[in-house]
Amino acid sequence: MAEAQVISDPFAAAADRLKTLTKVMTTKASIAQTPKELVWTLNKAKLYRYIPVLPKEKRHPIPLLLVFALMNRPYILDLRPGHSFVEYMVNEGYDLYLLDWGAPGPEDKHLKFDDYTLDYMPRAIRKLKAISGSEEFSLLGWCIGAILTTIYAALRGDKGLRNLILLTAPLDFSNKKDLTFARWTDERYFDVDKVLAAFGNMPGEMIDYGAKALKPVENYVGNYMKLWDNIDDPRIVESWHAMNSWVTDNVSLAGGAFRQLIVDLYRNDKLMRGEFMIRGERVDLSRIHANLLTVIADGDHITPSCQSEPIMAKVSSADKELFRVKGGHIGIMAGSGASKYTWPHLNGWLGPRSQ
Amino acid sequence: MADDPTRDAKRFDPMEPWRGMRDVYMDAWGKTMVDMVNSEAYAQASGAMLDSYLTISAPFRDAIEKAMLKTLEQLAMPSRADVVSIAERMTNIEMRLDDLDAKLDNIQRLIVQAGAAPRLQPGKAPQPTKKRTTKTKPVKRGKK
Repeated sequence: MAEAQVISDPFAAAADRLKTLTKVMTTKASIAQTPKELVWTLNKAKLYRYIPVLPKEKRHPIPLLLVFALMNRPYILDLRPGHSFVEYMVNEGYDLYLLDWGAPGPEDKHLKFDDYTLDYMPRAIRKLKAISGSEEFSLLGWCIGAILTTIYAALRGDKGLRNLILLTAPLDFSNKKDLTFARWTDERYFDVDKVLAAFGNMPGEMIDYGAKALKPVENYVGNYMKLWDNIDDPRIVESWHAMNSWVTDNVSLAGGAFRQLIVDLYRNDKLMRGEFMIRGERVDLSRIHANLLTVIADGDHITPSCQSEPIMAKVSSADKELFRVKGGHIGIMAGSGASKYTWPHLNGWLGPRSQ
Repeated sequence: MADDPTRDAKRFDPMEPWRGMRDVYMDAWGKTMVDMVNSEAYAQASGAMLDSYLTISAPFRDAIEKAMLKTLEQLAMPSRADVVSIAERMTNIEMRLDDLDAKLDNIQRLIVQAGAAPRLQPGKAPQPTKKRTTKTKPVKRGKK
């Protein structure tokens, strides 16, 4: 009997591992579970308001709007219960809103930064103000979302923007040596018009390939080895499953915005040089007066710190802070250290400025 | 505790040295690959591959598109361009509706403020005259 136990256990363990592996590779994890209500829509864009958990007198009066990148799903901010930035901020008493850009269809291939910053964002913010009853608000932009919020802050910052938080913001494209994307999309090698003529929008799969190809071994091999090594640890498996569900859920980038990103920003660095035009208006970063917090990830290979730092010298904000945190582009907000370092710092900075 | 088989298995895991070697190899491989993808040669090669794919596939894409267009025409069905055009018009209508919605919100807020204003003045009772009451009726003001 004892012998049979010894023989069968390794098989049972192997079967369990295989079952877990199949499950995490073929299913989507339950994500974005913090209760919310849909309060506004326009085309594919949706504005959600998270249901407050604290009574009104204990909440911060200034609402916070989260703006994520155009080519990824924003639920990375609300990955899973107990490990969600959204949940954390709601518990800290913020009136929290999330702008989800949705997935652009063929009809959206002409959408540009102009449309996102001057049609979509002002309307979403107008709704936020109507619901919250506050004329002032805070903006948090992450990655491409940080480009959008920066443009908005420079063009419409006088419409009640009090606080601006930029997470891993790719704003300065002058250092071509350290920007792998800039090298790949150099006009000698990459014909942006030909790509967009073929696809309309920049396919999410191609963007995903580009992001993963920056660290190919880590993303295509190491990631799965990490899962296999920890397959008996339900905590790590659950975390991996949630992250993998997000990573594999790709969104295309609207053709017009992609062209601007490559031609105006990656190739010509127009935003930092003060030459970026949005519907005939020059995006002048010195017109940003809101309190500013710029967060830089030390190990960020997608947006190196040289892209985020220079804005500090360009804005006119009297109250500005640069915060460096250990971690990668996504890890600083969704990694295991996020709840210990990044989130408390964001709350500590924003809380007193939201009174 | 000493009989815990998992503990023993961990202690005598024969795969552990192999894992260590694997991780060292992976690190070295990873660094080499990062250097490779960061090179001009990689940018040039990947650009050339993408360009070839787009050039070769373009005639096929065009042919499929034309054939599809003809088929949809024969079947009296709307083409992709027709659907896209309708979708764009829908977005424009949505924007107009959103602006109207915001204006209505504003009007509603003003009505509520106007309605609440007399109540905020304690001791000032509303005038009983018929004419005055009908004029200050909030609903009528809203309709205007």
